Parts: sequence; C-alpha cells; structure tokens
Amino acid sequence: MADRGMITIEIDGKSVSVEKDTTILEAARSIDIFIPALCYSELVEPYAACRLCIVEVNDGRKTKLVTSCNYPVRRPITVYTSSESVMRNRKIILEMMLSRWPNVQVIKDLAKNAGIEQPRYQHPSVDLNPNACILCGLCMRVCEQGIWDNIINFMNRGAERAVRMPYDSEQPHCVGCGACAEICPTGAITMVEDPNQPFDAEMIRKAGMRITEEMIKFDKEQCDMRGVGTAHLVEIMDAYDLLPVMNYRFGKHEDTPKISSDVFRKHFTKGKPDGCWLGCIMACAKAIENFELKTGPYKGEKVLVDGPEYETVGGSSNMGIFDPYFVAEYNFYCDTYGLDTISFSTMTAFIMECYEAGVLDIEKTEGLELHFGAKDAALELLHQIGRGEGFGLIAGKGIRYMKKYFVENFGADPNFVYDIGMEAKGMEYSEYVTKESLAQQGGYGIALKGAQHDEAWLIFMDMVNKQIPTFEDKAEALHYFPLWRTWFSLCGLCKLPWNDVEPADNAETDEPAKVPGHVQGYCEFFEGVTGKPQTMDSLIRMSEKVYNFQRVFNLKMGFGRREHDAIPYRSAGPVTVTEYESRQERYDTQLREEVGIDPSGMSSEEKVARMRKFRETQYEHLLNAVYKRRGWTNDGVPTVAKLTELGIDFPDVIELVKKHGG
Amino acid sequence: MITVNGITLDWYEGKTIHDVLQEMNYLFPLLIARINGKLIPRNKYDSTVIPDGATVDIIHLMSGG
Repeated sequence: MADRGMITIEIDGKSVSVEKDTTILEAARSIDIFIPALCYSELVEPYAACRLCIVEVNDGRKTKLVTSCNYPVRRPITVYTSSESVMRNRKIILEMMLSRWPNVQVIKDLAKNAGIEQPRYQHPSVDLNPNACILCGLCMRVCEQGIWDNIINFMNRGAERAVRMPYDSEQPHCVGCGACAEICPTGAITMVEDPNQPFDAEMIRKAGMRITEEMIKFDKEQCDMRGVGTAHLVEIMDAYDLLPVMNYRFGKHEDTPKISSDVFRKHFTKGKPDGCWLGCIMACAKAIENFELKTGPYKGEKVLVDGPEYETVGGSSNMGIFDPYFVAEYNFYCDTYGLDTISFSTMTAFIMECYEAGVLDIEKTEGLELHFGAKDAALELLHQIGRGEGFGLIAGKGIRYMKKYFVENFGADPNFVYDIGMEAKGMEYSEYVTKESLAQQGGYGIALKGAQHDEAWLIFMDMVNKQIPTFEDKAEALHYFPLWRTWFSLCGLCKLPWNDVEPADNAETDEPAKVPGHVQGYCEFFEGVTGKPQTMDSLIRMSEKVYNFQRVFNLKMGFGRREHDAIPYRSAGPVTVTEYESRQERYDTQLREEVGIDPSGMSSEEKVARMRKFRETQYEHLLNAVYKRRGWTNDGVPTVAKLTELGIDFPDVIELVKKHGG
Repeated sequence: MITVNGITLDWYEGKTIHDVLQEMNYLFPLLIARINGKLIPRNKYDSTVIPDGATVDIIHLMSGG
C-alpha cells in the first residue's frame, strides 16, 4: 500500500519521491533545495513569468531548460538546479531585471548572489523606485484565484505594461482584504485607507491573511465551504447516523444521495452571488439562480434561491423528502414569508409523524395528506402558514402550541406528542440526531435561546471521539464552548472561519478541538480594533458575564430554571419500538454494557422502557454537573456568589435570583 | 486486534489509517489521527501501517454553524 502513485526523481543528486504532477519547484523545496522565483506562490497557479526558476531536466533522452514552477513531474527525471547552463541563463535574466529595477531589494539580493554588482546596460524604462512593481502578477492572480475577484490586472503592453485597477481609477468593489499587498514581493502595493480607524490595522490584516491563506490552500480538501457551503455536511451526517430522517426517528436514509452536496453543487451559481458578507474569504453562502417555482403566489416565475444550507437540506430529510427541487422551493418560500427553514421543517416533521400515528387525519388538517415524504402537501402547508389560513394557522404557531392544541382539541396522547415534539423553550430543534450524544442533548436543552446547536456542537467529541466520557468532562465542554461561541455574537463576528477551516499545525496543538491558532487570531482582531490585548481566558470571561446575565433574563421571563432545560425524549433515545428495532444491536449492547441488564428475552417495549429510564437519569446527572461547573444552583439559577464574582451583582438582579434560591 | 476510538477492530498485516477510515466510514474531512499517541500527518494516512494491539484515535473536529 505504501507510496501509491509516487514518482522518484533526482534533484542535484538527491532522490525525492513525489506524487504525479507535483512541480519540480515544489519537489525541490520539499527537500530544502532552493530555486529562486519571484512570481511563484503556493497560493496561486504557477505563471512562469519571471523565468528565474529555470532548471535543466534530463528525461533519459535529452536535456532541456524548463521553468520549474510549472513543469509537472510525470516520469523519473534528473534535475540540475545550478548547472552551468542554468546559471548562465539565470544571470542574464537577473541582469535584465536589475537594469530595469536597480533599487528593488529582492532583485538586488538575487543578482548579488549570481555575481552581478551592476548591470552592463541601462534599461530604457528604468524605474529607480525601491518599491517598484516588477510585473510578477502575483497580486492580480491572488485577487482572481484566491479572493475570487478581479479588482486589479495588467494594462498596456511592452514597456508600458503596469498593474492597475480598471480605467486606472479606484474601484469601490475592492473590499480592502489586503491580499495583493501581502503577496507583493517588493512592497509596490500598500493599503492607504482604514475607514474605521482601528487601533492597529496591520495586526488585523495579518490575522485576516492567515485565514485567507488557509482558505486558499486547504478549503478544497477540507470542508469545501467555498464550493458548496455548509451543505457539505449532508452526506457526512448521513454517514454518522446523525442526519434527521422522519422527525429524528432515524439518522440516515438510502435516498440521501439525491440531496447530497454534489447535487446542489450543480445548481449553485458559481462565484455569484456569493458570501453573506462582502469580502468574506469563506464565502459559504450559496445561491441558485433562475429557479422556476412550481407552486405558490410566484408560480412560474424564475427566482433566486438564497441557499440551501445544511440545515435546510437536513430539514427536508427530516420530513422524509429527498428531492432537491422541493428543497429549493421550500427554501425560497420560507425566506419570502419570513419563516425559518429549521422551524418549518422540524414542525412539519412533527405534524407528519402525528398524521401517520393517527393523531391527525385529513379532516383535522383540512384536506392536507401530510404523510412523511408528502412534498406537495408540505408546500401547501407552507403557503397556508404564509397566508394565515386553514391548518396553517395552527401549524404556524409552532410545536409547543401544537402539542397542547392536539391534546386539548384532538384527544392526542400527551405522552406521545410531548415525546416526539422536538422543541425546547419553545424553539424547534435544528437538524441533528442527538440520541447517542448526551453532551449534545445538553447542548440543545440548556441553550438559552432554545434548541439550537450554535451554543455547542459536541456530537463528534462525545459520540465519535469519546473525548468527554465523564459528566464532568461533558460539563466542562458545556461550559467552554457555549461561552466561546457566545463571544462571536458579542462582537458581531461569524464563527465559521473559526472551525470550518483548520490551520496546518492544528493537530500538533494541545487542544485542537478549540483551534487555538484561530482563537489567537480572534484575540488579535479584538486587540487590533480596541488596543486592548486579549487571551483565550479573557475572551471567555467577557462571554461569561453576558451569558449569566442572559440566564438571569431568561429567569425574569419565566424560562431560566431546571424545568425549562428539559428535552423531549426523542432527543435522548428511541420513543417507539420501530426506532428501537431499527438500531437493535446498538441498543441491546448498550443495555448490556452501560445499563447492566440482559436484554435477551425482553420484549421491545420493555427494552424501550429500560433504556428510557437509564437515559433520562443520565440527563439529570448531566444537568447537575453543568450547573455545578457554571456556578449555578441545582435548579439552574446563577448564584449570588457567581454574579458578584462576575461584577453583574446589580440590586434588581440579586433580588431576582435570591427569590429563586440563587 | 486494534482499538479505534474505543471500538475493537480486526487487525491484519499492512492495515493503514486509510483502511480504518474506510472501515469505520469516517468521511468527515477535519480529522486528526494518532497511533499509540503518535500524531500521523494527513499525507501519510495511506502509507502508515498500524501495529497489532495499537490504540488508534481518530479525532473529529467540528464544522458548521
């Protein structure tokens, strides 16, 4: 298995094995052989403009001079980087460069190394500027290939050739990312304006450029956020049994490939409209242009669909619908009606399960046959919600309202609807199956705003990596990550550049899950704006004050105690026999190894009940540990001591928490 | 036998990290692999052979909102 597809070449007498199509320049640098190059950067495609990287190649038949930056290795060859022929030709090139740009330091250094002190002639277009543009094209290439923009380019020909913005004027479309200035080898480009007058613009730019470089170099092989955005998670969640299917009963489905990221990649309009924030290098917001609607008030019109993102696609599988055109249509109409795709899909999945279980029927839904997978009925329900008509009037009020309504008006079994209605604090769950991750059950249940994963997404740490096995480990994760993620909201920053691209050295850090290199970058962003130096701990401390104050606010509004952190049992384990039996081997093993009972001979109903008792107890233990770690009472109320420590012990706050035992 | 994230897997001569990822259906791209605590670079997943009895950690990072 070792060294599949590798080609061994020889460079200056040293052997090196490289993958096919590696360039000679890359191969040489991998074994610390230096080849000069002024127009090369690993951030952009090779250009072979400066010609300094010439080397001599012998392929067994003949010897020739080639530019090493764009010569791909495809067969065993012998390379000479400083043969007599190479050095003679490189010296001529350098002498010509020095004659035109005699004061540019990088050229002076290379010329001196080649034995040139003064050129023998003067170029007719000599430029004495020490920061002269040497026409390497790195700036325009990084703008086009790295930033996906075209703010600068070459204009004119011959001796008049120069890098300019179009029509030689300032371009308002330039977002000032600074990539061109950063990559320029001579300092010919400088940033001249900082409209917001930050404390240290250079510090901000340097931190930003690190993210930019990572995105350009690694994104394609990591999350492909620039290609498909968060939709890349669809097939991944399915592979780990985490994609919600039919109201979170299951975690994968054979039809998932029909709505995978590759399907949407074909529909996304490449490059535009792109990025929810002008200048964002991650640019994960995707769109489908010229989508022809099949239903609703805009039926037949061609529109732009802003998305879909992962949650919107996962919401579709949750309704049992595996049709990309449905996803685009419900995405568009949710946006148009001002509805959240997560809330709509999760509550429709709940309605569909109620329909299939007989809680609802066609009379109660006023004509809508809302089985799982019923895409036409789901869209009609969406339009009814938008119009405020029919069954949409009930559904539009959300799961918390419907549970009560179905019990009081339709005679529903309260145990059933409360078990399967996936909401917490009145907010519908987002699109992940949490049954096998106790920490994530807490991530949803304890979240201050309701069942959203943006405080903590711990499923891999907990369920797959098994990094946080004890209640205390999980509580620590449910302390740090909600506070860290809250910090982004405090500053109005997006958190995706934190965890959707990984620095090259992240694996070698002590706590790679926290992505320490990126946390340091955010410290620099903050310091660069405000002038106040920060550490990871100081950022967390900022959040802790706000987070506790938010919990107090919840308390004031009637949502801030242990009872409000309760979760529907579907979030913690299998509600029905069907669910249990779909993963019977897993659950039987857990009964044996974790609960300590022998499931053989037990009916599925008994096994569901024993599993439930165990998992509900585990959740209560988790709450105990989390509240303790956070400095809250066992009822989930911040203590006076904690609020005093944080400096938010205002009289009315203290009075409120004391009333609740804090 | 080897253990991968606490799960016991069969071992065979020449088994690599790449083979383990396939066997476990670990599709997520942001992974860190360690064999008996030693970090394995991503470009060595298909050439690093796992010894019998090894403890393998495949650490999944996070992604998404």
